[in-house]
Amino acid sequence: MPAEPILSLNEIGHRFGGLNVLRSVTFDVPEGGIVGLIGPNGSGKTTLFNIVSGYIRPLMGTVAYRGVPLLRDSIQKRGLAGLVRTFQTPQVFEQMTVFENVMVGCAKLTRTTMLQDLLRTPAARGQMRDIRELAEAACERFHLKGLRDLPAASLTAGQRRILEIARAVVGKPRLLLLDEPSSGLNAQEIENLRDWIVRLNGEGITILLVSHDMGLMTVAHTVHTLYFGEIVASGDMATIQRDPRVREVYLGV
Amino acid sequence: MTSRLFWIAVALAVWAVLPFVVPRNIADLLVFTGIYSIAGLGIGLLLGHCGIVNLAQATFYGLGAYASAYCTVMMGLPSAVGFVAGAVISMALAYVIGRPILRLTGYFLALGTLALSAIASALFFEWDWLTGGTLGIGGIPKLDLFGFVLDRPSRYYFFVWIVAFACMAVARNLVNSRTGLMLRAMRDSSTAAASLSIDLQGLRTRVFVVCALFGSLAGSLFAHHASFVSTQSFTVDRSISFLLIPVIGGATSIPGIVAGAVFVTFLPEFLSKLGDIHQILFGLALVAVVVMLPDGLMGAVGRIRAWRAARRGGDAG
Repeated sequence: MPAEPILSLNEIGHRFGGLNVLRSVTFDVPEGGIVGLIGPNGSGKTTLFNIVSGYIRPLMGTVAYRGVPLLRDSIQKRGLAGLVRTFQTPQVFEQMTVFENVMVGCAKLTRTTMLQDLLRTPAARGQMRDIRELAEAACERFHLKGLRDLPAASLTAGQRRILEIARAVVGKPRLLLLDEPSSGLNAQEIENLRDWIVRLNGEGITILLVSHDMGLMTVAHTVHTLYFGEIVASGDMATIQRDPRVREVYLGV
Repeated sequence: MTSRLFWIAVALAVWAVLPFVVPRNIADLLVFTGIYSIAGLGIGLLLGHCGIVNLAQATFYGLGAYASAYCTVMMGLPSAVGFVAGAVISMALAYVIGRPILRLTGYFLALGTLALSAIASALFFEWDWLTGGTLGIGGIPKLDLFGFVLDRPSRYYFFVWIVAFACMAVARNLVNSRTGLMLRAMRDSSTAAASLSIDLQGLRTRVFVVCALFGSLAGSLFAHHASFVSTQSFTVDRSISFLLIPVIGGATSIPGIVAGAVFVTFLPEFLSKLGDIHQILFGLALVAVVVMLPDGLMGAVGRIRAWRAARRGGDAG
């Protein structure tokens, strides 16, 4: 049964200066799926990610999220609609503790006005309690309990990655965009990450994964290969790996 | 915990006795310390929790002071009206100006706020029908709390400091709230904060409005204390000395704000006894604090504590 696309990219084109970084990129991300995006450095993967998450407005093309055009929405609005990303270099809040980092991820689930917060009204206190409980549960779940009160600046690359994912997931995303999540991680940590991706997908979170890690990419149901801003091959990982063009442009064999 | 309570009790006792045991001019300075703490508190919120340098606080301080002066002297209204009018005008201005200039970051934002202060200072001077220009507005009545006139520094001291404590409580609430959490996230990484749906622009503007409210409140308190306001009190220089309060004391710490306010009110006064050289000495003291204690006086206290704890830990092990 083909699922409805949660995200549809249509004829996306973008240029930096005179350089065409993306040329009529078109693909769908089906609801509940794991879609991968591979390609060598400079192939436009991160640019595409920045377009979907709202950091860049593309020069051409459209993006629809759950059937509604997305490109005019701010980063914040996309986040509230359930579209959350991580970054190639994990962006943790360095001076805050691990627990506080996770709490920030919950902040969008509640609403308080500045006045309520200034006066510490019962509503504001109640919401803060809810945020704490959610963050507590997320720390438990992502095995961050032992690191709970450490400043995020002191974490290793692997821990930062998990923290970033925990922080994104606690806000209940529908579509999670993971940008090179395995970079800087050791084999064990990559294995751990793989498990998380599968588990989160099993809970109904759709995942769009950018990586040049072929091993990690085997979790994806569909993989698109970007090469100089164009999709040169699509299919499951086995098909992709057999594709002569992919072998030529990407694997270099 | 008990030692903490003990020290709070000691501090409160000292606070309560202080205005009765010190000479009048010192009591007067203590009133100013309270007023400056309120103004500095707002800047501390922006600097310590949003990473924003606000060089425009004298604008809101001036608006509060002129609102109080104009309402009471020119219009004969109760003093409470002046406080409210100043607060409303300041917050509205902060909102309207804040939206566009808070899009800037870093040095550009600091320069934007500096420009605001310079413009406001020029307007206070030009609009003499409203502000009295360099002649100012005199005869501002002392505050009257249900028949109890706050006409001596020792009396006004308690009023100002109770207002200051209330402002500190409010600031502390904000820091510990959901808003405070989002502010710190934004300061550490605005990119990641945006991805978690934090409205950076809106949040910055709202804190700027709170900062303006504190500035205006301090200005109104100043007007009723000094009885006379004129343009000299609301220049760019004043904005700079307000910014120094959190820079010297430590922007994220409330005791730090008070320490910073003590520094900018007391030090010039004591140094002025040394004659013409006092401004140079104040400058040197300032440079010394900023260079040697980059996270302010309270940051230094924190480091001494950490060092002592480490040494104790070392002895035990």
